[in-house]
Amino acid sequence: MPQSQRDTIFLEQARVLEHQSYDGDQYILRVEAPKCAARAAPGSFAHLQCSPERPLRRPLSIMRTSPTEGWVDFLYKAVGEGTKLLSEREIGETISVLGPIGKNFEFHTDRPRPLLIGGGVGIPPMVFCAEHLKRDPHWSPFVIMGSEVPFPFKTRPSQIMVPGMPDAVIAAMPLLEDWGIPSRLTSLQGYPGCHEGYVTDLARLWLDSLSEEQRAEVEILSCGPHPMLEAVANLAAEYNLPCQVSLEEFMACAVGGCAGCVVEVATEQGPAMKRVCVDGPVFDAKTVF
Amino acid sequence: MQLQSPLVLLSGCVGFGEEYTRIEGFSNRDVGAVCLKGTTGQARPGNAPHRVCETPMGMINAIGLQNPGVDKVVDEILPTLDFNETRFIANVSGSTIEEYIQVTRKFDDSDIDAIEINISCPNVKEGGVAFGNDPEMSARVVEACRAVTDKPLITKLSPNQTDIAANARGCIEAGTDGFAVINTLMGMAVDIHSRTPIIGNNQGGLSGPAIKPVALLKVHQVYQVARDHDIPIIGQGGIMTAEDALEFIIAGATTVGIGTALFYDPLVCPKINEGILAYLKQHDLESVEQITGTLVLNENPTLCKGKI
Ligand SMILES: Cc1cc2nc3c(=O)[nH]c(=O)nc-3n(C[C@H](O)[C@H](O)[C@H](O)COP(=O)(O)OP(=O)(O)OC[C@H]3O[C@@H](n4cnc5c(N)ncnc54)[C@H](O)[C@@H]3O)c2cc1C
Ligand SMILES: Cc1cc2nc3c(=O)[nH]c(=O)nc-3n(C[C@H](O)[C@H](O)[C@H](O)COP(=O)(O)O)c2cc1C
Ligand code: FES
Repeated sequence: MPQSQRDTIFLEQARVLEHQSYDGDQYILRVEAPKCAARAAPGSFAHLQCSPERPLRRPLSIMRTSPTEGWVDFLYKAVGEGTKLLSEREIGETISVLGPIGKNFEFHTDRPRPLLIGGGVGIPPMVFCAEHLKRDPHWSPFVIMGSEVPFPFKTRPSQIMVPGMPDAVIAAMPLLEDWGIPSRLTSLQGYPGCHEGYVTDLARLWLDSLSEEQRAEVEILSCGPHPMLEAVANLAAEYNLPCQVSLEEFMACAVGGCAGCVVEVATEQGPAMKRVCVDGPVFDAKTVF
Repeated sequence: MQLQSPLVLLSGCVGFGEEYTRIEGFSNRDVGAVCLKGTTGQARPGNAPHRVCETPMGMINAIGLQNPGVDKVVDEILPTLDFNETRFIANVSGSTIEEYIQVTRKFDDSDIDAIEINISCPNVKEGGVAFGNDPEMSARVVEACRAVTDKPLITKLSPNQTDIAANARGCIEAGTDGFAVINTLMGMAVDIHSRTPIIGNNQGGLSGPAIKPVALLKVHQVYQVARDHDIPIIGQGGIMTAEDALEFIIAGATTVGIGTALFYDPLVCPKINEGILAYLKQHDLESVEQITGTLVLNENPTLCKGKI
């Protein structure tokens, strides 16, 4: 490992500033972690000690940051012991946060139409990507989100036209709407305004509505459950589009030291076991599916 | 071998020496030595995921000795390490005695400061703990490695055996210069919904505070043998604090290893150093060597007086 990577991850005793619960055991946590906030980029995650009772850290994607105000937002689902203990942490308490960690999503200027697809607790990195892209008019991103539990925000009918969308598919994420970024939602649960189906259904409708030249400007960025990512990767292959996916694996150190978090990745030298924490979590979809 | 701190970063927890320096405030200068990841003759891809999971007061791992092979480690990784910051110790593994010899020989012809023979890895099918739990095989591996290196040779002992002291005795006769006590204990975690082991390899090695009492006893037992030969022990297994470290030193360790604790608190080493220094000051001591093995056992522990 080159020494140029030294001192790029920070350990902070982060004060809980906000901790909001949503349906489906979902939580949005805001902590004060100014160093992490200053260096995080879309795709970065942090390794949090949920509670001293369960000292091994848990990885969570970073959803939003404010480098000026020094906070970092996470969206997580309480699924097991660690995340349940995390959900009990109250405003004013401190949480040990190690971050930002990982290889980020890359944006390519010759692909100004990023298609961001987030499923469930894979939504946070997509929000980070969108907030990053909104700063520069060069980019025209479109965001598709899917969830089988109620979305952790109050959906709003979109004011932004999106080609290819059925009339009834109108619900959007308000935050993205405020940033002027079009979004559409999917679920099998029949939530109002959402497409009843899969994220890839909407992606396909949108891609089919674009001209050949426009399609050549698309790159897919995605995070979510493994089967969803696989479907997204297949879709990208079908349309011959570049695709980056963010993967998950159990972690111990999260800094590349233990090789605990590996996934199989295709390389020029054949299959190799790569660490999700520092070689990822973002990988070229072609190499992992 | 003189060390700047009694702390040693443990094999498999800190990659090939540089990974933790990604963290601001972490420095290899805070420790006396860094043990590199277990290295074999050829590159090994390691085990199928999941490879790690948390368990009460600890964790289970089954990495399966993923490493790029000794040639890459010596030719490409060692030259990038800063030997001014600390000492680096190689961790040698193999499926056959010939492989242990091949890897040791290659490290002997390198800048590495010492060589640790890992005959206690529980996560590989051949070699590893299969050698370490057989005293005769352990001694043969040590003897074979001894024959091809003059560098300090440390033997890493397995807790998964009946008589660790007898094994240690054989390794001393075979020429070891030091011991690392202990490697992980074999364990399992089960997912009750899928009714499968959580770890891809089905079983793995348990580390962290859960194993500390076992590790302490093993250090004490090995010390009874090593003491007469002036052979130092790197005590390890669940050390989280300066107090834990001091327990190991009193039980017979000269230096102490930090592994799983880094996963909990990556900046734990300076805190442990400080705690040890404060203890030395409090007890008017110059160095930790003065308390190594100073454990005073209770007399007649099994005898109680009086009637039932
Ligand atoms: C890079 C990355 C980003 C992530 N981002 C988010 C996010 O933004 N929001 C969110 O809700 N979740 C996210 N996850 C998943 C989250 O880390 C797990 O849900 C969490 O670790 C589960 O811990 P637990 O103790 O509650 O569950 P348990 O099932 O009790 O955990 C037991 C063990 O398994 C590990 N584990 C279980 N599931 C996962 C998993 N999916 N990924 C990694 N380790 C797991 C735990 O770390 C722990 O060691 C992310 C995972 C990774 C790797
Ligand atoms: C993820 C992980 C990987 C390990 N890999 C090795 C290894 O390659 N070689 C070895 O000798 N020991 C290995 N060990 C064992 C540690 O070096 C150490 O002996 C053990 O974890 C006990 O110390 P601890 O409780 O402080 O972690 C590994 C331990 C862990 C947790
Ligand atoms: S979690 Fe240790 S290498 Fe990724």
